[in-house]
Amino acid sequence: MFTGENIIQIVSGFLHWAYAQVGISALAGAIDPVISAIVMFGFISVFVMFLVWMERKVSAHMQSRIGPNRVGPFGLLQTVADAIKLTTKEDVKPVNRDKIPYFIAPIVAFVATFMGMVVIPFDKGMVVQDLNVGILYIIAITGFTVIAILTAGWSSNNKFALLGGFRSAAQIISYEVPLVLSVVPIIMITGTLSLSGIVEYQQQAGYWFIFPQIVAFIIFITSATAEANRAPFDIPEAESELIGGFHTEYSGVKFAMFFLGEYIAVVVSSAVAVTLFLGGWLPVAFLGFLHLPGFIWFLIKLVSVIYLVMAFRWTFPRLRVDQLMDFGWKVLIPLSILNILITASVWLLLYGKGAQ
Amino acid sequence: MTDLLLSQVKVGGESQFGTDEYVVNLGPQHPATHGVLRLIVKLDGETVKETVPVLGYLHRSIEKICENRTYPQCITYTDRIDYVSAMSVNYAFALATEKLMNIEAPARAQWLRMIFIELQRLASHLLWMGAFAGDIGALTPFLYGLRERERILDLFEMTCGQRLTYNYIRIGGVMIDILPDFVSKCIAFLDYFEPKIDEYEDLLTYNPIFLERTKGVGVISPEMGINAGVCGPSLRGSGIACDVRKQQPYLYYDQVKFAECIETAGDCWSRYKVRMREMRESVSIIRQSLERLEPGPIEAKMPPVLKAPLNSEIYSRIESSRGEMGVYLVGDGTAKPWKAKFRCASFSNLYVLDQLTKGWKVADIMAVLGSLDMIVPEVDR
Amino acid sequence: MGIFKYFKDIFSGLWSLLVGLSVTSKYFLNFKAVTTQQYPEERLPLPARSRSMIKLIYDGEKDQFNCVACLMCAKACPNSCIKLEGVRQVDGKRRMTTFKLDFSTCIFCGYCVEACGFDALTFVSEEYENAVYKRGSLLQDEHAMKWVRPAQPIAPEEQKKETVIPAVVGA
Repeated sequence: MFTGENIIQIVSGFLHWAYAQVGISALAGAIDPVISAIVMFGFISVFVMFLVWMERKVSAHMQSRIGPNRVGPFGLLQTVADAIKLTTKEDVKPVNRDKIPYFIAPIVAFVATFMGMVVIPFDKGMVVQDLNVGILYIIAITGFTVIAILTAGWSSNNKFALLGGFRSAAQIISYEVPLVLSVVPIIMITGTLSLSGIVEYQQQAGYWFIFPQIVAFIIFITSATAEANRAPFDIPEAESELIGGFHTEYSGVKFAMFFLGEYIAVVVSSAVAVTLFLGGWLPVAFLGFLHLPGFIWFLIKLVSVIYLVMAFRWTFPRLRVDQLMDFGWKVLIPLSILNILITASVWLLLYGKGAQ
Repeated sequence: MTDLLLSQVKVGGESQFGTDEYVVNLGPQHPATHGVLRLIVKLDGETVKETVPVLGYLHRSIEKICENRTYPQCITYTDRIDYVSAMSVNYAFALATEKLMNIEAPARAQWLRMIFIELQRLASHLLWMGAFAGDIGALTPFLYGLRERERILDLFEMTCGQRLTYNYIRIGGVMIDILPDFVSKCIAFLDYFEPKIDEYEDLLTYNPIFLERTKGVGVISPEMGINAGVCGPSLRGSGIACDVRKQQPYLYYDQVKFAECIETAGDCWSRYKVRMREMRESVSIIRQSLERLEPGPIEAKMPPVLKAPLNSEIYSRIESSRGEMGVYLVGDGTAKPWKAKFRCASFSNLYVLDQLTKGWKVADIMAVLGSLDMIVPEVDR
Repeated sequence: MGIFKYFKDIFSGLWSLLVGLSVTSKYFLNFKAVTTQQYPEERLPLPARSRSMIKLIYDGEKDQFNCVACLMCAKACPNSCIKLEGVRQVDGKRRMTTFKLDFSTCIFCGYCVEACGFDALTFVSEEYENAVYKRGSLLQDEHAMKWVRPAQPIAPEEQKKETVIPAVVGA
């Protein structure tokens, strides 16, 4: 049957035969992860291009208009045209910038978010490296973006970019706490940090975690949009009327890297949400007769969650900075702590001391 | 000129953290759709200390030009004073001239004028809603408002030929009669549009983020409003009944049933609610007027050259979409006005911006400016 | 109590957010309900009364412009866009010799068309794509503005104006 596991078996069988032909079978353990990382990189790059197109089409149809429909069939090549435009733009740099941090900041922003995709399981066994501390790794990686933003704001030699960078960094740091806390009940229930393990637990248990943990799902999605600086939390980008965001002084490819980094952060958080709450590669219960391979289910769920994140941007107004911080600290954190307490108490009541 | 203004904004206060104040320019080119208004804002960190508007970027000397044009020719310039709500300004000037020269428009013309002015009020409020929501951050209601507004402009184009600067309401009547299918198309539009207002309210009115941004922000107390000369929906949001259509009824507003929309809190949210309710009332007025339309002449019998009596003057006011629009005319016996002065609502309403935003954050400037429904061509003329 | 209000606020806030999402999602799911007119391919006709472009009517049978150079349009124009000259012919009738309309200052108010008592000027609603590359091209003379009325019956909905020549002429 056409499942993810079969594909992995076929491909790795072919690769090992190829190694044997060339005579480097001993190095298989080292080369396999590199090849899977390259495949993941390629896939994500194409997926992000698709996402940019999807955002424009989704926003357009929500607003009763047609999005891009001229470049390529249904406008699918519009992102390619945008990418060509951004790469051929003049790279305007402020004269008094701090040269090395200015150069490094967009690279860090881009690479850090990409690194999160390494542990996401697209199907059983279809993951670049199934770390057994998967969630911890992803949460640690999201801390990198703060460094990138602060560096960008500081090195631009522009007091407004610096202020924008400060605000953005404060926002990201504040919303990491509810992000982590909303994941804790799932870790408590499953007893493992590995993402594949969590999906397998959902398979055995027979239900997805969104049903008992709907509050955690909402908190997670909200914190993830705040982490990616997207509306309704896009003060650093949209308050450009007065104070430019941290990326004011960037143009061309460097700006493209920030921009793509934001989309990849959305993809990573949505993928984590799908894995933790929506059952990863598991089929939707009543549609199981379709016999689709696991990664197709994963992609369908991923696109749905990303649609939800995009709908947030185009439906809700923007929060003011102090209201944003209020919301994070006074609403999300107490709710997520409450969620942990309730989950733990219910678990103990139902299953006694034998809980994992 | 700018140095003079900047010197009035004193910089260098002290706060407990030893921070400095700095002056920032919210330049004439805005991402928001208010037009070319320049705001010099003195900030302490994120808090606004003082806001000084710099006007004049859209000044076209319309009042001076009108001194050299005949009364009918002036109507073409009034379109451009408030291009979002051009029918109202056309009518303000036509009313002033008719009072000056003792002309009375026939009944059908009055009903038609009422229908078009209320349709124009709808169009203006739709654009305001879009711009206000866009300032707050919700980008979608702008397109919804414009989509509805396009249909109103189609009705206008069907009748008089233009979509923005109509030159339709003339002295003594209207330019041309409506087409036979106008009434059915108008009723079809109203039936389509009324549920849409509910949709916009669903999207915005009780949205918690919208409430946080607008409730309690920019409170105009009744005393502050009256002292500063605020008028229109901005003052009705503070509880004061100031609708010229009720106080000094013109056209046939005393013969149709409509409610004056008043809210008491005085913040941005109240002003938003006042305008949404005004949209519903306008729909009701249009329906009633369409029923009472009867055949007849559409223009009064007037001399071919309109001359004002010597040493005559008149001040007449109407309720345009933004508030009270007043026209002051001085006649000198010739066919051209000696003086034409337009008292525009946005100019007076802009005055309270400084008092409303003192001590609030930068983001609130945009919220307050949006809720005042200020249009720069009215401010600068 | 404060704690109940806290949770009530959260739930009511969440509910109105969901209602808002449903409004936009409804438009999204209704894929065909777009209001975009894809311009170069879809050129919808403008209404008959559209004040698009002013044309001088040329009478094909009599082989002359209808204009008699009475200068009513020039006096009516608020911006003085029209300059024209005429000459009295041997049979006593006046005819126009040159007619210039500066479209860069014209505001399309329609006073010239209304003032003309000889059916010489009209708006042609089909011609609305009037962008030019050089500003000088906007000063059009009678050859550029020449237009022959097509031999069509008047559309049944088009109503005639019911008034006398309006009072637009200046002193």
